[in-house]
Amino acid sequence: MSRLPVTLLAAWLLIALAGQVLPLTPNEIDLEQLFAPPFSAARPLGGDELGRSLLDRLFTGAGISLLVAGVSVSVSATIGTALGLLAGYLGGAVDRVVSRLIEIFLAFPGLLLAIALAAFLGPGIGNVVLALSVMGWVGYARLARNQVLSLRHRDHVLAAVALGRGPVAIMRLHLLPLLLAPLLVEASYGVASAVIAEAGLSFLGLGVQPPQASWGSMIREGVRYLLVAPHLVLAPGIALSLVVLAANRLGDGLRDRLDSRLSRTYA
Amino acid sequence: MGRLIRAGWLLVLLLLGACRASDPDTLVFAIATAPASLHPLLATDAVSERINGLLYRPLVDFDVEARPVPGLVRWERIDDRHYRLQLVGGPAPFWDGRPPTLSDVAATLRTARDDPASPHAGTLRHIRRIEIHGSDLLLTLSRDDPRLPERLHLGVAPAERLAQGAALARDPMGSGPFRFVRWVDDGGVVLARRRDGLVVRFAVVKDPTMRALKLMHGEAHLLQNDLPFEIYPVLQRDPAISLRERPGTTFSYIGFNLQDPITGDHRVREAIAHAIDREAIVRHLFMGHARPAETLLAPGHWAAHPHLRPWGYDPARARALLGELGHGPQRPLPISYKTSTDPFRLRVAAVFQAQLRKVGIDLQIQSNEWGTFFGDIKAGRFQMYSLSWVGIRGPDIYRHIFHSASLPPGGANRGRYRSSEVDHLIDRADRLPRKQAKSLYYRIQEIIHQALVYVPLWHENNLLLTRRVEPVSPLPDGSYGFLRQVQWRTQWREMGNR
Repeated sequence: MSRLPVTLLAAWLLIALAGQVLPLTPNEIDLEQLFAPPFSAARPLGGDELGRSLLDRLFTGAGISLLVAGVSVSVSATIGTALGLLAGYLGGAVDRVVSRLIEIFLAFPGLLLAIALAAFLGPGIGNVVLALSVMGWVGYARLARNQVLSLRHRDHVLAAVALGRGPVAIMRLHLLPLLLAPLLVEASYGVASAVIAEAGLSFLGLGVQPPQASWGSMIREGVRYLLVAPHLVLAPGIALSLVVLAANRLGDGLRDRLDSRLSRTYA
Repeated sequence: MGRLIRAGWLLVLLLLGACRASDPDTLVFAIATAPASLHPLLATDAVSERINGLLYRPLVDFDVEARPVPGLVRWERIDDRHYRLQLVGGPAPFWDGRPPTLSDVAATLRTARDDPASPHAGTLRHIRRIEIHGSDLLLTLSRDDPRLPERLHLGVAPAERLAQGAALARDPMGSGPFRFVRWVDDGGVVLARRRDGLVVRFAVVKDPTMRALKLMHGEAHLLQNDLPFEIYPVLQRDPAISLRERPGTTFSYIGFNLQDPITGDHRVREAIAHAIDREAIVRHLFMGHARPAETLLAPGHWAAHPHLRPWGYDPARARALLGELGHGPQRPLPISYKTSTDPFRLRVAAVFQAQLRKVGIDLQIQSNEWGTFFGDIKAGRFQMYSLSWVGIRGPDIYRHIFHSASLPPGGANRGRYRSSEVDHLIDRADRLPRKQAKSLYYRIQEIIHQALVYVPLWHENNLLLTRRVEPVSPLPDGSYGFLRQVQWRTQWREMGNR
């Protein structure tokens, strides 16, 4: 697996953490620095339409996207995996209910539903996380259920049943560890989706509210001055593209590495 | 990857499908908002009023020095309470060919005075009787009004169409220099110049960058204001685009709810007035295309007070005033500020927020789309807001916005300002000829300025961009009257539509 995605994601993580530690002033308006070009002394990445530092806002935006991606993927993965496990292992009515729920959610375009939900709940970072979590669990649930359906008849699971292990213990000790690899791949794609969805919602004005910076809101504000100061869009746009590309490439790499069938093919 | 390429092609096809060849004989005027109503007497938004100025001929017009001149009628003052109006000889007919009559004039006056939705009702309330006697229309007033003609800048519509009420707003009929052709799907409107048939389409393009791009690519030929000021130099690089600028009468201000316990306190308003650095905002955000204002009427207007002392930028004084109230940068005073979603107004709001934070005010910006925002302002649901007065012609506006009888919905005294002295001065000034009224209007402005009912901000310049059109200058009030003279460039016609 190429090191580039890992390096890029590590850089994202570092920048996001640095944004919390460094004495940044992302919201400090300086009329003398309106549309300052990149590489100027006071504004290394340039100034925006209010003279705020693009670099500082980029760092803060990295933190927001990491927070949204981290929380929404964690919540989605936890809920989705739990529901998928239950549906796949218990079967019967539980499986029918969860499967219908999954089908209903899959019937709607995910981002559109997230937009509707964010619009209904009102703008704000908390509601964006909630909207993305509500939409995100489906993929994990479907994956976990399908995996469990094929794993539940494995010898070690049947042996555990024969030895009198309860369903919770079987799911936790004998099924979940085997699900982790595909779930990890799904989660890396989920990070990419969450980052892009947060940016999309903020671009539409449903995410982070001014003056707080997120990459999506920076692009939204910058689009109006595309003819005058393209760097306002380019800086957050490139950052966003790199993170999404890196997360997707990481997912591809993990899938290739963790999938035993693929490993054998390429061995 | 294959899916991505297919999606890309689909997007390209959709965009191509959205393109429409423009009519080479149509002049496209890109505007930011759609006109809400083409009713000559009930429209209240700026775009509607400006378009109505082309569709309807007014009873009384104004010359360049804001003096009333005959429009559709000439007037004769019999005494302070009686006026005689007569149709000016050979007025242009309505588009259906019927000439305007005194019945149409009478119906226009009655609608403007009596319709509950009329913004003119407050200034025409004193017209007690409207009677037609032969070729004269006699107006009897309930009080002296030597300046009545100034209040008769009203577009005239046929009596039978006025009787239909709101229908006129969608299906107008006037006798102005342009005739209505049709509405456009985007909310815009197509007009035709009666003199030579020139077709002008008002195309609604909400996004300022898109408006600029349309002008650059020749899909629009006229743009007036509503662009980020930074874009003008970029557009001027195109030799086909001309820019003309003129100081305008549009007055921007910060308004307060005077019934609110926080913004009702003069010290808070004074702190705000001292904390806002208008000069810096004009210099940087407006790039010099505005002038700091002290009063509502533009400099040079006969009733504008020329010597009002500005509330200068003085953050130390602002901090001291807030300190008296127990607030400061460490313990900021929260105040909500309402504004529209217009990107430039939001930018200005962000600068206000930053400047006020330095003295100890935590400005909480609430941005809503226009309908919600304006509804809140009219209903008094605000502490502080910013708006502009557009197209102000005379001091009549003081009755409309500062008289205690002008609380919404009957008037625009949105801050709920009450001063018996100002009421009295307005009542007196309205009954006097200009010369005598002038000193009273000066006094009104002094009181309003001192009371900080508004924090005056600036008068914005009007900037008009034209492409492939003979350059014309914008008008001070921002109206579209220049369209009466606008001409395609000769070589442009010869070259065809490129």
